[in-house]
Amino acid sequence: MSRGTSDRAWPGGIFSARTEMPFALSRQATLRTPSEQSPPTHHRTYNEESNPFTGSKDGRRLQIPEETMPISFLRRSLRKALSFLHWSPSRFPYSNRPGFPRQKDVFLTTGYRCSFHSGAQGGSFSENWRRLCSYSSRAAAEPSTSDGLTLEGIISNQWTILDEGESDWRSHVAAIAQSIGLIKRRLKWKEMLVRLNLLSAQLDRPDIWDDPMHAGKISREYGSLMAKMKEVVAWERQLLEHIDMIKLAREENDSELESESLKALLDMRRSSKDKELEALLSGQHDLCPCFIEVQAGAGGTESMDWASMVMQMYRMWAQRRGYGVTVVDEMPGEIAGIKRATIKVDGEYAFGYAKAEVGVHRLVRISPFDSNKRRHTSFAAVAVIPILGDGFSHVQINESDLRIERFRAGGAGGQHVNTTESAVRIIHIPTGITATCQNERSQHQNKASAMAVLQSRLDQLEMARQAQMNAQHTQSLTEISWGNQIRTYVLHPYRMVKDLRTNYEVSDPDSVLEGDLDGFILSYLSTSLDKDEEDK
Amino acid sequence: MQLVHNLRFTPFTFCRRLSATPSLAARCCSSPPSPTIAAKPLFLRPPHHPSTLSDLRQWYSWAYLLSTSVGSSFLLSDGGPDSSLLLRELRWLLEDVLDTSSGIHPHLVTHPDDDSHRKVWLRAEIGDLYRLWRQRIEERKPFQYVVGCEHWRDLVLWVREGVLIPRPETEMIVDLARDAVGKNPFLRDGLWADLGTGSGAIAIGVSRLVLGDGGKVFATDLSPVALEVASYNVCRYGLEDAIELRKGSWFEPLRDVQGKLAGVVSNPPYIPTDDMLGLQAEVGRHEPGLALDGGVDGTDDLLHLCHGASSFLQPGGFFAFETNGEKHCQFLMEYLAREFKGSFRSVDVVSDFSGIPRFVIGFRC
Repeated sequence: MSRGTSDRAWPGGIFSARTEMPFALSRQATLRTPSEQSPPTHHRTYNEESNPFTGSKDGRRLQIPEETMPISFLRRSLRKALSFLHWSPSRFPYSNRPGFPRQKDVFLTTGYRCSFHSGAQGGSFSENWRRLCSYSSRAAAEPSTSDGLTLEGIISNQWTILDEGESDWRSHVAAIAQSIGLIKRRLKWKEMLVRLNLLSAQLDRPDIWDDPMHAGKISREYGSLMAKMKEVVAWERQLLEHIDMIKLAREENDSELESESLKALLDMRRSSKDKELEALLSGQHDLCPCFIEVQAGAGGTESMDWASMVMQMYRMWAQRRGYGVTVVDEMPGEIAGIKRATIKVDGEYAFGYAKAEVGVHRLVRISPFDSNKRRHTSFAAVAVIPILGDGFSHVQINESDLRIERFRAGGAGGQHVNTTESAVRIIHIPTGITATCQNERSQHQNKASAMAVLQSRLDQLEMARQAQMNAQHTQSLTEISWGNQIRTYVLHPYRMVKDLRTNYEVSDPDSVLEGDLDGFILSYLSTSLDKDEEDK
Repeated sequence: MQLVHNLRFTPFTFCRRLSATPSLAARCCSSPPSPTIAAKPLFLRPPHHPSTLSDLRQWYSWAYLLSTSVGSSFLLSDGGPDSSLLLRELRWLLEDVLDTSSGIHPHLVTHPDDDSHRKVWLRAEIGDLYRLWRQRIEERKPFQYVVGCEHWRDLVLWVREGVLIPRPETEMIVDLARDAVGKNPFLRDGLWADLGTGSGAIAIGVSRLVLGDGGKVFATDLSPVALEVASYNVCRYGLEDAIELRKGSWFEPLRDVQGKLAGVVSNPPYIPTDDMLGLQAEVGRHEPGLALDGGVDGTDDLLHLCHGASSFLQPGGFFAFETNGEKHCQFLMEYLAREFKGSFRSVDVVSDFSGIPRFVIGFRC
């Protein structure tokens, strides 16, 4: 298709000056804004009454242009319709609901076929209508282009994916389709649909609001899953519509339309990368804030120093991401570093990202604590616990199951002693799980923080129990075996940080220790999620 | 010393305690309180003192070294703070003194990098910081007096020389009062009394957490310094209508509500006089003896409170007193059972988080 000529040349040969205003008006009438459209039942009325093939008033008007309609006009209307469509998902929330056939698709496909293809394909109106009907019933299940190309189809075509700079629509389409496929895998698409059905069945039960807490939980989960699903479906439809547009433009030799659509595809391709990342953080608790715990391995001061370096790395990483960081518990080493420490990281997706850091981190360097300047290897274990927040906790803590102790207390106490040390240790007697907080300035707040840590640990234990067969849960410090190394930081004899799970590596350990961890985190998240899916 | 104790009250009578004049405070402390008493907690003062990050870092490393040089010498000599605790206090002092609105956070001070010429705004002059930290280490001035505040429960209270720094153990009195009100909701809207209120901690805690709109707390203290501090703290938490401060010894200013109190709570002086000399330096040298010295066996004021509770509490009224430990608790239990047969019910002993029996609680029959 040569650009610049399409404005003038219309290969269909039915360019005509007889622009029929009544038709234009009726066309516009069927392109009502979403707010005017009535919810789901409407599509039926639409099909029966105003569909061009059913012999209604509008339809009859449409029948005439089959032979005589000015194609430029039809083209314009179609573009208007399509440009409107790109907006539709957000403007018309019902349109993506499963089981709700997309009337606009139907409409478009119809108009498209009616005016451009029906003659060429030699089909009669009734034939077209049958095709349309079968299409509309399929539409809900799997969106496709007018000639039946689906997402799966695109992927299986294995079109070559060229560089973004190449303006090859097939390459863009293939790249986007691949992204959508990846996003679906990351979201665990099929499981998600099953879960959605399950949740919606639960929400339909009349007694659901008898337990408002539970109902709130269910409806929140339903809402968030639904939003994720809608977004992907809309994205997929948008892709298919662009394909239709490109094909149309090519047939019509409309270079303007083609380049517009190409540009739209390129935009989609670019933003699909962000969506892939978003889909990485679709776990149930990924949005939660979290506690990060670091514990020094054997090896005395050198490994305690390493533990404090690791803790500092996470604090700086969290600050870079704009998360709030508070130290909950810190047990300093005798000479330097920390024996163990817990920080709280506050912010969206804190757990989603930080969970990639669970495991043992290994350091190789010449120890500054060794007067003989020997090379040492030390270890630090990292655990990450989501903070589920009120209403999401799995475990109800019984006050009577707790034993609360003053930490590092001695002597007569009370008025005899003036100390700013008010740390407490809370012991959950049935499980033996303890939590300590010593960094707040009042005992009351140390107790509250320790309770929050305890709650999260118990939640994690419960989640682990529920998901016993499922490797999804993050491990607690006690569960992490020192053999479970995830990353090595070498400062001597060469300089490198390498993730043993993904083989992702960086030759600048300083930047990593200053909190530049996102590369490691994202590569881990993508490989683990994508691998997970392959295993199935 | 002996003279002072002869003048203290005896049970069954309402005797005016010695007024807490500065001379008394000075007599009890081996070093008199500094004359330059800050009018407000440090963290509330305006950040009007410019300095640079490098100057602040210099002070910090000086203070850091001074703190580490302490090691555990204080701990071994009188149970005082060790280096690690002092370092944590140093970090808190930094948090209190530094204005973070300009984007300078304490970790920038403790983890040096290059922008040392950045300007910082402090709530005290850098010279004062040196003086304050020297006082902390060399004079063993309590950290809470250094920064002018004590974090207690979820409150931040102004404290200064002449006022007892509320202890972590005492936080539990508020929980005990809450539990009592939970079981006896009619106490929620009654009149309560916090006797010897000091900084006002218990009164504010009870008023905020325990009482309803109809409830009111009378907070009494003999010391004018304590009343000034308590009044500041009450205002800071906007409780002027819910807490009434009255000057006087124990129940004395409350004669108008005799027999009408729904609750009486107190952390009275309970340290036996003989123990006063061996106290941790922060306590013995700096905190007011008036708020600590409980007479020969430390029970003088506690006994007085028990007598007062029997006549000032309404039927069903609740009391909770902090004591010196197991001996006091046992003694008071026996005393209440012996002297006030049938006056009190559900008398019990509650331990603090260190496992030391610390509180005696009960209800008026």
